[in-house]
Amino acid sequence: MATRVTESQPVLTVAPKARRKFSRRRFNQGLTGYLFALPWLIGFAVFTLWPMLYSLYTSFTRYNIIGEPRWLGLRNYENIIFNDSMFLKALENTFWMVIVKTPIVIVAALTIAILLNLNLPGERGFRTIVYLPNVLSGVAAIFLWQWILAPNGLFNAGLELIGVRGPAWFTDPAWTKPGLVVMSSWWIGAQVLIYLASLKGIPKSLYEAAEIDGATGWAKTRYITLPMLSPTTFFLVVTSIIGTFQIFETAFIIAGAAGRDIALGGPGQSLLFYVFYLYNRAFGKVGAGGLQMGYASALAWILFLIIMAVTLVQLLLAKRWVYYETDGR
Amino acid sequence: MIGTVRKLTWRRSLMALAAGLLALSTLSVGSAQQGEIPLNPEVSGDVEFWHFWGSPVRRNAIRRVVAQCQAELPNITVTETFKPWGDIWTANIAAVAARSGMPDVIVADRLQLPRDAADGIYQSLGDMVEADNIQSSAFWDFTWQQTLYEGESYGLPFETDVRVLFYNKNVLEEAGLDPENPPATWEELWAAADALDVKNEDGTFERIAFFPLYGNVGVDLWAMANGHEFVVDGQPVVDDPAVAETLEWMKRWIDRYGGWSEVQRFLAQYGAAPNDAFMAGGVVMKVDTAGYNSILNFYRPKANLADGSTPNMDWGVSLPPYEVEPATWSGGFTLSIPSGAENPEAAWEFIKCAASRPGQVSWARDTYSIPSDIAAARDPVLMADPAWGFFIDAMEVGKLVPFVPAYSNWIEQLNSRLESVWTDATTIEEALSEAQQEIDRTIEQNR
Repeated sequence: MATRVTESQPVLTVAPKARRKFSRRRFNQGLTGYLFALPWLIGFAVFTLWPMLYSLYTSFTRYNIIGEPRWLGLRNYENIIFNDSMFLKALENTFWMVIVKTPIVIVAALTIAILLNLNLPGERGFRTIVYLPNVLSGVAAIFLWQWILAPNGLFNAGLELIGVRGPAWFTDPAWTKPGLVVMSSWWIGAQVLIYLASLKGIPKSLYEAAEIDGATGWAKTRYITLPMLSPTTFFLVVTSIIGTFQIFETAFIIAGAAGRDIALGGPGQSLLFYVFYLYNRAFGKVGAGGLQMGYASALAWILFLIIMAVTLVQLLLAKRWVYYETDGR
Repeated sequence: MIGTVRKLTWRRSLMALAAGLLALSTLSVGSAQQGEIPLNPEVSGDVEFWHFWGSPVRRNAIRRVVAQCQAELPNITVTETFKPWGDIWTANIAAVAARSGMPDVIVADRLQLPRDAADGIYQSLGDMVEADNIQSSAFWDFTWQQTLYEGESYGLPFETDVRVLFYNKNVLEEAGLDPENPPATWEELWAAADALDVKNEDGTFERIAFFPLYGNVGVDLWAMANGHEFVVDGQPVVDDPAVAETLEWMKRWIDRYGGWSEVQRFLAQYGAAPNDAFMAGGVVMKVDTAGYNSILNFYRPKANLADGSTPNMDWGVSLPPYEVEPATWSGGFTLSIPSGAENPEAAWEFIKCAASRPGQVSWARDTYSIPSDIAAARDPVLMADPAWGFFIDAMEVGKLVPFVPAYSNWIEQLNSRLESVWTDATTIEEALSEAQQEIDRTIEQNR
């Protein structure tokens, strides 16, 4: 129960002349700040903002990136939403991945971070080991995992030891995405470290106070640890969702680009993810139009709107469950 | 009087003779003999050459071609750069769009060339072809035709291929079949499989005789072997009894080996050469391009026989088994110049050299891919290998699937529905009629 300071701050009354000088200094300070930020602002404008706006323009055109864009109005968007079954399949696959992978990653990272925070011997070594996969090259690791998750590979051999017959991970349409989830759980090192840092930032006094009142281990976790970690959880959930929406590398390596004899998207189109589909549209491996950069731009902007909507919903919901120490609630 | 006339006549005929000889000599210098393209060693410049041939066999093979051409074109410096298969064409498109960083010569997919030319990715070689009097008759007709867009060539055909049946002679003999007479028809193939399959106690397979989707092969080849013509008057036809029969036949093989997921599981045990299913003894017969021969030569696999012996594998080649008539088809690549390339003249000299007879023979000798140049294909050095003569004969039953400008990817409508057919999620009739509808609709939209 913190008391709020409600008295108003003393207001500085100054003569008009002095106020003008005051604001010029403010203006100069502001200007200096912007000048220092200018290199980044220029880079942002040229390499991020301008391409984004140009792609918004091309999403309304037919554009093969080599010639000039040809205005089409809303035709790309119409075709995507009403005539494109692969778009729906891509959305389905991507949403599945987001909904399944995010909680698994968060819970796994949190569990490992809590274990690492127990101050047992060897903590430093385990911390390094947990982070090590993030340092490895993504593509090489994906090839490695394809072998580990082969029907007669290491993973299934391990499952057989406990009497479970492992599925055909990357050839059975029902198991390809779970296979990807298994593979990505190898890369939670970054999330673990972020959680670990936050865990170490929780004041010990809270735990001591709880112990005095007779709190059990689980009560301490539920009423102290988790709420104090909620800003970190929120951050990780948002970034994990945004990242998972953009999944590409793993799909590209495992399912491959479409070819003459290869249908796009792996077994049962189960690995047809949104950005992967976008890429194949852009470079003409799918569909009738050769290079379809305009169509791909429209796809990109639809994805942007979807991610924006999802993030806004999370921000609104955050007020209910995210506890910030400085809020004074 | 008579003397003068005689003199005049004699001089005139001498002049006529001289003119004739002169004409003949210019003919042999100016025009290309079968398989030999004139080079201009005076041209100089740096040529950046992108290809995707990184395997041990092919990397050195392309280096040999480059070295040969360097010798004939001393003023040109060719830098061969390996770009991964999944990346080379997208990297080129990005460079062409950015108008910088594109190579001077790139290996282009011949089957997609008209589509890529329409998009402006490659530049027309029409003027250079005409100036150097390149004879299109030097190349297999379909390889030349597929390089044309609006009447002009966009690449010189480099390599082509032909799909044949590779089979394990040791295993055939062990099973009591004649190793010199492999199954030629679909019926013979099915009967041979009874002798060649090896089943485990739990019902899974240790070895399968043949699988129609294993190898460099798809529905299109089998449908053509069933007498189907895919593109009629520029219109793709997939909803046809011949195609339906082909799918039924393929489905029988899938069911024979335990269903689609079981087959996938079986094939997933194997990887790339030398651990692929054929070399590791998992599959006895495999349809692949003639180039697979060079890989077999490189890895020299062993055959695993029932008595435990592992002799060197003796493999044979024959035409893919047919139902109505023998069929095969040829893909291939061209050497093209991307739009905006820095040194098109030097690039053109290198392309001519690589696509000419010495370049193509060198390439074919190392890789067993078929030269697009007919004279090179029948070169005595290559014909010395008896298998080679068979490959060239196989080219004769090659079927061309014409390019459909309005929808070059049309086969994706068929391929994307096959899996639901194999897993019984849709019937063959549904899949084919849906595919046909989609193809027709897309072509209508793009007219």
